[in-house]
Amino acid sequence: MIPSMELPLVFFTLLSQLAIGLTLLYALRTAGPSVQPEASAKTQWFVSAGILAFSLIVSLTHLGHPLLAPRAVLNLSTAWLSWEILIFILLFALMAATAYLGVTRRFVWLTAATGFIALFVQGMVYSPSSFPAIHNVLPFAFFLVTAVILGASTSAWFAPQDTQPLLRWILVGALSAGLLLFLVAPCVWLSGGTVMRLTGLAYLASPLYWAHIVLGLAVPMAVVVVSRRIPSWLPILLLAGALCGRVVFYLDTIHTGVNIGGLQ
Amino acid sequence: MKKQLGFYVDAKRCIGCFACAMACKNQYHQASGVVWRQVYPLKEEVYPHHERAFYSLSCNHCEHPACMEVCPAAAYTKREQDGVVVHHQEKCIGCANCVRSCPYGAPRFNPGTERAEKCNLCWQRLDAGLDPACVKSCPTNALRLINLATFNEPNAVQFPPGFPHMSRLNPSTRFRQAELPKIIKPEDK
Repeated sequence: MIPSMELPLVFFTLLSQLAIGLTLLYALRTAGPSVQPEASAKTQWFVSAGILAFSLIVSLTHLGHPLLAPRAVLNLSTAWLSWEILIFILLFALMAATAYLGVTRRFVWLTAATGFIALFVQGMVYSPSSFPAIHNVLPFAFFLVTAVILGASTSAWFAPQDTQPLLRWILVGALSAGLLLFLVAPCVWLSGGTVMRLTGLAYLASPLYWAHIVLGLAVPMAVVVVSRRIPSWLPILLLAGALCGRVVFYLDTIHTGVNIGGLQ
Repeated sequence: MKKQLGFYVDAKRCIGCFACAMACKNQYHQASGVVWRQVYPLKEEVYPHHERAFYSLSCNHCEHPACMEVCPAAAYTKREQDGVVVHHQEKCIGCANCVRSCPYGAPRFNPGTERAEKCNLCWQRLDAGLDPACVKSCPTNALRLINLATFNEPNAVQFPPGFPHMSRLNPSTRFRQAELPKIIKPEDK
């Protein structure tokens, strides 16, 4: 198996997680019983739906035969990938319906719950037994943290002033969790079997991995803590950092096939 | 037990000549870089005599194939009559999910056709009563076709060192492990 950056999948997963993050954060900050829908709610939901639609189109370019894409939902009995496609289409329909028909509490929570399930399904797609390092809950954890980081920072563009402190705390919490997760995971892999250890070594030796840690997690956290606000340019930096991290995820996670003939 | 065909890889007999891999290539003319059968030398951590022991591997035609489970387009089927896992090219959408998910690296992506492909255990030859091309070509009889329903080799192992241990998939390949060479010292003569 030849490792590949899988750029269409990098963009699909990142942008879809950004859209889900926006949805989750909107649901969280309008959760109170007396909170009214925000003035910019419609715009925000159109943006989320647009980003998700764009990511779905990008994902088609990953297929060898994009015109056969409708066949991808034929194996719902066993393939997580079939469920991923189905649930992301459903999520887009819910986002678009919320934007068009009005941002009601019921629609917001239904869409947010669907988004959370979509992240779980996406995590399952990327945890096959052929990648021992991520044959566990880690892909879902990576994707959830990324969605909250990107969602919280981008929400700051739309949210009113009174909810900015909440967004700031959520962002700092998610960045702390992300730092812990992305730093600890490769170190734990070093104590695993051969293929897992090779994955840990590949991550730690990758400049892109450290670019993600520094530019995508540590520096943004310092900026938010010191400035006590979410600067408007921060989502761009976070997206660039997450892009580096996602490329490492596809490129440097080692497949068991690489070490056939040696100890696993 | 139902009939389940598989390969018997005799690492004691295999000399690493690549005849099996070449026979596969001659039979199917795969594109450059696309390999259905690969001869893997055992690393020194498994067999401490470098380049003296090999596993000739292709698709293991598992009882619960990962490729078939993860393929979103249902492009894989498992034949009822002999358990051969067949990939149907015309149904493949080229997502490469099977390539990523098979722990043995059996499905390969063909950049020319933009589709996955793998060993189909020469099912057309089987149906004609012939051995698979790789088995037929082996000069030392180190690669054999077996039926697990009747296979009875007490020394055969399913997961030797150097072969990923995936018991849930239950791969149909069986192995005879390579033996360490007998070193004759002058005082033994």
